Amino acid sequence: MDRIRYIIEDALTNIRRSGWGGVASIATIAVSFVIVGIFLIITSNLGAVITEWKEQFQVTVFLDDNITADQLNLLRRRVQSEGAVQTVSYTSKEEALRQFKRELKGKESLLDGLGENPIPASLQLHIQDSYQTPEALKQLSTSLSRLEGVEDVMYGQEWVDRLSRIIRLLRLLGLSVGMALGLASLLIVSNTIRLTVYARAEEIEIMRLVGATRFHVRAPFLLEGMIQGTMGAGLALLLLYGAYQATLWQIGVTPGQIFGIGLGGFLDNRWTTGMLLAGAGVGAFGSLISVGRFLRT
Amino acid sequence: MQVRTKGSGSPDVIQFFHVTKTYARDVEALVDINLQIQKGEFVFLVGPSGAGKTTLLRLIFRDELPNSGQILVYGRNVVKLRAGAIPSLRRSIGIIFQDFKLLKDRSIADNLALVYRVLGIPAAIGKRKVASTLKMVGLSHKAQMFPYKLSGGEQQRVAIARALMSEPTLLLADEPTGNLDYEVAKEVLKLLAEINTKGTTVIVATHDVNLVGELGRRTVFLRGGRVIEDRGQRLT
Repeated sequence: MDRIRYIIEDALTNIRRSGWGGVASIATIAVSFVIVGIFLIITSNLGAVITEWKEQFQVTVFLDDNITADQLNLLRRRVQSEGAVQTVSYTSKEEALRQFKRELKGKESLLDGLGENPIPASLQLHIQDSYQTPEALKQLSTSLSRLEGVEDVMYGQEWVDRLSRIIRLLRLLGLSVGMALGLASLLIVSNTIRLTVYARAEEIEIMRLVGATRFHVRAPFLLEGMIQGTMGAGLALLLLYGAYQATLWQIGVTPGQIFGIGLGGFLDNRWTTGMLLAGAGVGAFGSLISVGRFLRT
Repeated sequence: MQVRTKGSGSPDVIQFFHVTKTYARDVEALVDINLQIQKGEFVFLVGPSGAGKTTLLRLIFRDELPNSGQILVYGRNVVKLRAGAIPSLRRSIGIIFQDFKLLKDRSIADNLALVYRVLGIPAAIGKRKVASTLKMVGLSHKAQMFPYKLSGGEQQRVAIARALMSEPTLLLADEPTGNLDYEVAKEVLKLLAEINTKGTTVIVATHDVNLVGELGRRTVFLRGGRVIEDRGQRLT
């Protein structure tokens, strides 16, 4: 127990003595993690949009304003009979307007200038999983648009695909930028720790002479790296959260309000824990590099 | 003299069997050394610089490995010692150097505290040990001072105190008086002799033959990596 306490005390002393070098380590890790974090926030939000879209409006059939009740019934049955269609739901003109107003919360006045309700009634189709390919959806929409009472058919698949590609690209970009920066932090951490190893060379020599184990000599450096890494990642999370709140405030929304879907969320607990652990990992690895190189025995 | 290789029954703390140590470029530091040192002995290793004294000491605490031959310390073959067992060997050996090797950035007490921290001894017990050890070398009143405030002789006494912190049964001193005036050097040797009377085996490497003569202890003369004379050896 005392041994563990001494090791922790030694690590803290190292950090205190590392001064600006230690600050530089923490700052570099923080910068790398801020950049990785920005990509994570963007991609996870876009991911949420896609999931919503897939669920919400896969295919929307906008109806002619002059459609009669009989025509509507016929159309619903016709649409329902399509093999690709899982469920059909109807949104009237009035309901569509109400929904739109809800999404504009506080800015309903924008609609004041409109005399008549401009929003068409529509049928929302949920598509069977097996038909969720661009080709199948295109075919379906062409055949539906020919039906009587149909004004227009819109399907989000193309957008979903495009957005998915963008997200993949962003993730890749984020990952490679993050990796490059992670490598830089690794080098800086290992350099800082190398300096502490140098500064403590005499002490390490004496520790060995009086019978310190390898573990006892190395553990404080490892811990020092892990603490620096975790602090860097923690600092990055604080900065990200600050920037995130500032952005929300700037555009005047609360999370989840944008488009009424899951957009605008911060990193969830899984990601924040992951980032802290990754910080500790980078620190530990950076310290292992220098300790391994400078303390052979 | 009887040679036994099993540790428990042997009175020998240190046994060298045909030990040869060559550094790179064929520098022969030690050649075919055979040496036995018994428990409780006080032995001088004497010779000019480059005679192999330091190498011999370093072989004992496994800072170096010989090219050939075997070395037993407390009956344990240190040549075959695995790396993980080195710390426990060193905990049973106190080592002091010509340049004291005190840490300048901390007080005398903290220099000694390093040892109990390495050994994982609880702080309360460790602090008491620091106090009693400093008292033994007569430096209790300087515990809170930093090394640079102390004279050379005092610094060496601190180094000796640090070596004694782990209560070793073997004390190795490499030119402990090399940086000290004659009178101060005699004091330091007196302290080492005192420690020896309490049962600790002491080996002192020095180039200063004059100092050695006064104490009249066993003296091993080294030259060119060979033992050329072993005077005053205690026989069993």
